[in-house]
Amino acid sequence: MLGWIVALVAVAVATSSAVRTYQARREAYGASARAELNERQAKAAEARTLALTEEIRQLARRRIPAAATALSHRTAPVPGLREAAGIDGEAARLLGEAVQAARTAVLEERGRVDAAARSAMRGTSAKIQSLLNQSQHLLHELQHEYDDPRILQLDFRNELALRRTQATAVLCDAWPGLARQNSSLVEVVLGAQSRVPGYERIKVANHLRQERLALVARAAEPLAIALAELLANATAYSHPDTEVPVTVQQTAGRGALILVDDAGIGMDDDALERARTLLSGPSEVLLTELGDPPRTGFAVVGRLIARYGFSCHIESSPYGGMRTILRIPAHLLTVMDDDRALSVLAPKPVHARGTGAPEPSGPQDPAATTGPVGHLPAEPVAPTSAEPAEPAGRAPAAEAEAPPAELPTRRRRARRTDSPEPSTTRPQTVEEPTLRTPEQAGAAWAALQEGTLSGRKAPGPPAQAPPAASPSDDLGDDET
Amino acid sequence: MTPGPGRRLIPAYLVTGGRSAPTGPALDRLAVLIRTESSLPPDTGSEQRRLCELLEPGALTVVECAAHLELPVSATVFLATDLVAAGHLHARPPIPSAGEIARSLVERLLVGLRSLH
Repeated sequence: MLGWIVALVAVAVATSSAVRTYQARREAYGASARAELNERQAKAAEARTLALTEEIRQLARRRIPAAATALSHRTAPVPGLREAAGIDGEAARLLGEAVQAARTAVLEERGRVDAAARSAMRGTSAKIQSLLNQSQHLLHELQHEYDDPRILQLDFRNELALRRTQATAVLCDAWPGLARQNSSLVEVVLGAQSRVPGYERIKVANHLRQERLALVARAAEPLAIALAELLANATAYSHPDTEVPVTVQQTAGRGALILVDDAGIGMDDDALERARTLLSGPSEVLLTELGDPPRTGFAVVGRLIARYGFSCHIESSPYGGMRTILRIPAHLLTVMDDDRALSVLAPKPVHARGTGAPEPSGPQDPAATTGPVGHLPAEPVAPTSAEPAEPAGRAPAAEAEAPPAELPTRRRRARRTDSPEPSTTRPQTVEEPTLRTPEQAGAAWAALQEGTLSGRKAPGPPAQAPPAASPSDDLGDDET
Repeated sequence: MTPGPGRRLIPAYLVTGGRSAPTGPALDRLAVLIRTESSLPPDTGSEQRRLCELLEPGALTVVECAAHLELPVSATVFLATDLVAAGHLHARPPIPSAGEIARSLVERLLVGLRSLH
């Protein structure tokens, strides 16, 4: 019995000890597992810190500088996080915010610096502009006083300087610097032409239906500036031997178009994209974005477009280079008062001939009859081309009929001076004029008269009136 | 083309076509221009056409043409020399105003006349 009890106790002890060792072992295992976990967590935290440090280093050394560079060079790559999994979302977001904050700060500072530079330039260019305007007035007076052609060249140099200054001023948000009255569209085009080096290569074709179509006062100078920049581009980027055709025409919707073509080198895609961005009239153009040396042309046009409401489009030209199209909406157009004469230099409209469709000539006729001034200039053109063609084309037999038909005096005289050239065929008629032309006779007599006159009033200086009057005098004598 | 307070739109040098001096013999401001019978080619500039129209009724001096065209004389000379070169105009040098008669010549003439007696 006792043996059973002892055995039972022993079993119980053994069992309990077995249980205890099992528990102890389990506890030990748990402790080691916890320690391992702690260790692993510590390692992970260390790795996270390391990753975070690396990311911060990346932020300081790569991402922020790259983000700042990318503000001025759009194509520059901006690196992101080194390994997105290495840090948690919150840290990544904050790092992104840091980049963003740096960007904003740089942008603000850049805007501030640029505005300061613009305002400094604006002040300077306004001053230069007014000085150049003054010298232009002086040159204008000199031109009418002295006959030296170098004054014309000087005037041109002055105009070039004025254009540069004015363009800079416009780029710096200044107003164009002067007010104009309503100005004829063709005259504005010529004005723009005169401001460009190589202006002699620019050929203006006037296809307007209304000759006196004009720009409203506030748009006249801005358009001249914008067009001058486009023309300067066209002449600068095309070969000096090529022409730059400019076409002025009216659109169906009462607006007007100015087309500038060049046979130049054209533009690559990047340049074209940049030009189109600038020409879309952005609200702000930074001086720092113009490059070095600054390419101001399209930027100036863009500034003016944003402010005055015309538009500009650029594309490849059928002439080989680029074609820029300046579109002037109807609300910027008007018609000039009849009492203001157009400049002699303004090319006359070319309707009817060449590419002119029959349609434009239809509306043009009523316009010509209502506006008498519009009709007048067109008239003399036709007779001059038709009239001289007649004597030149016909045989000598026609000469006999011609004089009685028209009032003869000038024609007869002119024909004699003309006849020596076809003389080889008709020798006998040539004899008369070679003896003494009416001009020579008149000149001889006038000289004699003047000689006696000046001889009589002996000490008097040779007055300026006699020579000026003498040509008309001697013409009067000829007629008898 | 009055030099008003604003900036003039079309400068006179535009007619020079970028040249620094007229191509051809120099024209005096009092040289007389006469239109010939030749017909102008269709691509003639409007300012040249206008100058020829001015001269249709009769001759004018360069300075008078300049006044009509409202251009300076220096610019008109460019136009005129081009048209003269193309044969559309005749240019005649100004008639020199007769100078004072040389006194010695008159004296010698007097001596000669007296010696005839």
